[in-house]
Order: sequence, then structure tokens, then C-alpha cells
Amino acid sequence: MTDNPPLALDVQNVFHWFGANKVLNDIQLQIPHGHIVAVVGPSGCGKSTLLRAILGTHPPRQGQIVTGGKRITKPTRDVGIVYQHYSLYDFLTSRENVAFGLMLDQTSLPQRFLAPWSWWPLRRQHLEQADAFLEKVGLAAAAARYPHEMSGGMRQRVAIAQALIMEPKILLLDEPFGALDEATREELQIMLLRLYEENREAEQRGDQPPFTILIVTHELNEAIYVSNRVVGLSQYHHGGEQGATIVYDKPAPVFSPDDPRDFGPFHAQKEELRTAVFDPENLQHHSDYLQLLKPTA
Amino acid sequence: MIRQPISPTTKVILGLASVLCLIAGYAWLSHRLRVVNPKNTAMPNLTQFVEGWDRITRAPRNSEAIGLEAFRESWLWEDLCATYGRLILGLATGVLLSLVIGIAMGCLTPVEAFFVPPLSFFAKIPPTAMLAVYFVAFGTDIQLFVALIALGIFPTLTQSIYQAAKKDVTSHAIDKAYTLGASHAEVIWNVILRQILPRIIENVRLQVGPAMVFLIAAEWLLTDVGFGYRLRLQSRLLNMNVVYIYLVILGMTGFVFDWLLSVTRRKLSPWFGE
Repeated sequence: MTDNPPLALDVQNVFHWFGANKVLNDIQLQIPHGHIVAVVGPSGCGKSTLLRAILGTHPPRQGQIVTGGKRITKPTRDVGIVYQHYSLYDFLTSRENVAFGLMLDQTSLPQRFLAPWSWWPLRRQHLEQADAFLEKVGLAAAAARYPHEMSGGMRQRVAIAQALIMEPKILLLDEPFGALDEATREELQIMLLRLYEENREAEQRGDQPPFTILIVTHELNEAIYVSNRVVGLSQYHHGGEQGATIVYDKPAPVFSPDDPRDFGPFHAQKEELRTAVFDPENLQHHSDYLQLLKPTA
Repeated sequence: MIRQPISPTTKVILGLASVLCLIAGYAWLSHRLRVVNPKNTAMPNLTQFVEGWDRITRAPRNSEAIGLEAFRESWLWEDLCATYGRLILGLATGVLLSLVIGIAMGCLTPVEAFFVPPLSFFAKIPPTAMLAVYFVAFGTDIQLFVALIALGIFPTLTQSIYQAAKKDVTSHAIDKAYTLGASHAEVIWNVILRQILPRIIENVRLQVGPAMVFLIAAEWLLTDVGFGYRLRLQSRLLNMNVVYIYLVILGMTGFVFDWLLSVTRRKLSPWFGE
């Protein structure tokens, strides 16, 4: 267990395997509060396995993952998740979806059945909070709509609001914009930049930044654009037969939501990522590309 | 053209035309039979139907009751109370049993492993063939009919609820609920049950027909009150003016039952659509 409070997530020497198939090999990843970290890697390198391990649905075979001083062994309210698909509950409207977590977290089933008078005022409060979050993601007008009445981009915004309202220690985004068209994707990327901007404002005030996000994506431009740090997971390295490990960990340029969306300056970093993470011919020692593996808190 | 849409007015006109055709066809056949034999009761005419309606809605000859009291002593009222009392109690028991076991099977793999073999086996036995077993176990009181309906619909309904609980709710939806702070009970009540509720209601709708078949069959054989008993008795006496009225009432109540479940589904799960 760690007692390092500035870390939102601490992945300590994690190994994972399925029978003889070694998937993750000695993963070490420390994420301080307020970081938006993008994870990239070749198909089948174990990004989803790492995500599931952090989520707690498939805890690692060896090593441990700690958030908020607690070891993760099952899904908890400290780790939020937004999937590419199936992100919302079909039977709830947008505002009910966003308020759903508050209800589950702050009340219990017996309380809602046996003491409904204590639950109704809370319900009103939760729905008001949900409305405020929907406004934050630009969807105040869609509060009464069911998921099937919204576009993919709107659904993902609601899903992000649903996860963020819980104030998780870390929010995992599993290729969240993969199924969206380019324009919608851009809007949601800018939304993430706004969250990062809020983090910086909180830091300037001396507060703990509220949003720590780990985003898994296969889009290199997106990874560099939305994050302040890019992590590359790959099986292409010396010792790769033991499973994938982190072969790239470097800062990414930080953009303001109002900056022009120009991917030109990413070129050098993209090439570096392609060589370090995606090139099976380039078997390097993975520490060559690591700058942030052991950050000072 | 195949599947070419038609206007709502055309749809209504065609629907009415089919009913009118049915009535006209019946009236013509009834008339032909009465030309051959004026005392024919196999296809009664309107006058005979009025007599039949009077027969089933009046009190027995030895009764002095009048008005509503008289109706309460009539065949129709007694049969309605008996048959629909048995049906509703049997369905309620069967649905409750299927709901508890179906959801437990969809959520807990040991319960699934325990119940799948017997359910698959009992689903293959026609419930009416089990009448002798229920007769021995429950006698001829209402318990017999409740058991026949409840255990008759139980294998099929449980299997469909179990499949819905297992397949219609993704593991992502369940994991996400835990990340939102849900307990195991809340995952079952607030996620799984809410998600599959419209499917449960649809499956209950589909089971009302078979439940009615089991009930009428049992009443035909074992009772002295109820639709099944009355239909058997009156058809043996060839009182088809009573039989047809009973069949129409059965059809209409079935339709109302179906409509009520459909409205309930739309009310409880507006997101599910048509």
C-alpha cells in the first residue's frame, strides 16, 4: 500500500497473464492528481487488460494498483469508466443517468423503500446537480432525452458527466471517441481540454485539481492533443515475449481550448511514438524513452 | 407491392371490412341452416343469441333476487369470478416464482447451474399432461388451478427471464454500476430489473394464452363452475347460443388483458418504444 497522497493512481510492478499467454510485464505507472494521460499502443498489446486491472474487474496476477491509498481489487466509486459503447443506461433520461451515481452512492435500497421522505429531498438535489453537470458538458437542453434519442457524441458527453459527477480519483476513458465522426470527436476533445484548464485554475488557487483522466486511444494526434502526458504500451521491446510494458512516457504539449487546432507541431513526437511503440523492428530498451516513469510528487 | 405502407384510413376500413365479412358470412350460413332445419341450434341467429344472453345473465329459477343481485347469482358472473380468479392467482404466482428464480439464475452462476437441467426437462412436458400429478398433490380446490397455471408457465417464463437477465444486460453496464457506488442488490434492482422489465412484461403477455389453455382444459375436466365447465356442458347440449357468447367474452377479456399489460409496459418503460 502507498501513502503518497499526490498520486491519483499508482500502478506498482503489475504483471498479468492468461494461462501461458503473458500480457503485461512489470507495468509501473504513477499519475499525479490533475493529469490527463493518454495511453497508446499496438492492437492486442494489453491496453484493455491494463484498463480492466485499474478498473478492478480483472485485478493483476502480480503487483498492485493503488488509488486514494487503497488497493484496487474490484470496481469501486473511486475509479470512473466511460466505454466506447454501452455507456449509458437505456432506461434513464440524460439527467437521470447523470444523477444515477449520486443516488447509488449516497442512499441505499432500504432507505429509498422504507424512508422515502428522507430520499425525496436528496433526489431533487441530485437532479439539480445533474442539470448543472449537463450544462457543463453543453447538454442542458437534452436533459429529458433517453439515450436512443441522442447522437453518439451527446451520449458520450452524458457518460462523461455521469462519471465526473462522482468525483472519482481517476476517470478511465476506453477509446471514448472511437465511434464518433470527426466534428463530434473534435468537440469532445476540446471538452477534455476545458477540464484540464479547470485543473490548472484549481492548482493556481492552491486547490487539488479535480479531474485526473487516463484515456486509451489508438489515434496519435488525439493522444498528444488532449493529454499532458503520453504513455506508450508495447510488446515490441527487448524481453517483449514476457508481455507488454511501458516503452514510452513523455510529456505532451498542453493546449488551451481556444488555441487553433494545429497538429503540425506534433509531427516529431508522433514519429518518435511510431518508432518507440508501434515499430516491431525497433527493439529498444524501453527505458530509452521514459522521462516520467518515477515522477517526483 | 411487398410491404408498401397504406394510409391509416385504409387500414381502419380494411379492419372493419374483415369484421363485416365475418358477420355477413355467419348470418348467411346461419340462415341456410335454418332453411334446411328451423330448429337448428348449431349456428344460432340473433333471437337465439338474445335468449342465450338472457339465460347466462339471469338468476336461477328458484332465486328471488332481482337486478344486480340476480346478475351476481347468474352463470356468467359465477363463471367469470371462478375462471378469472384462478387465472389471476395462477399467473401472479407463476410470474413471481419465475421472476425470482429467473433473475437469480441470470445473476448467480451456481443457481444457473442448479436450475438449468430440471427447467429444460420440465419445459418439454405439456402442463395438462401433469394434471394427474397436480390432482394427487393439490386436490380439486383452487390450489390445483393455481399450481397448474403457475407451474405450467414457470419453465418457459423462467428461461426467458433468465436469458434476458444474462444477455440483455452487458457486463459493462454492471461494472459501471459498481463504479457509481451500487451494491449487489442495487445492481439487481436498479440495473438488471429495470433493463429487462419490458421484456418480462412482453413474456408475461405471451404466457397468458397458454395459461388460459391449461385452465380451460382443467375446468373442462374437473370443475362444476367456470368457463371450461360451462362450455363443456352447453356444447354437449348443443346450446351454441351460450357457447358462442362465452367464446366472444373469452376473446374480449383476453384482448383487455393483453391491452392492460401493453399499457403497463409503455407506462413503466417508456424508453422501450413499441
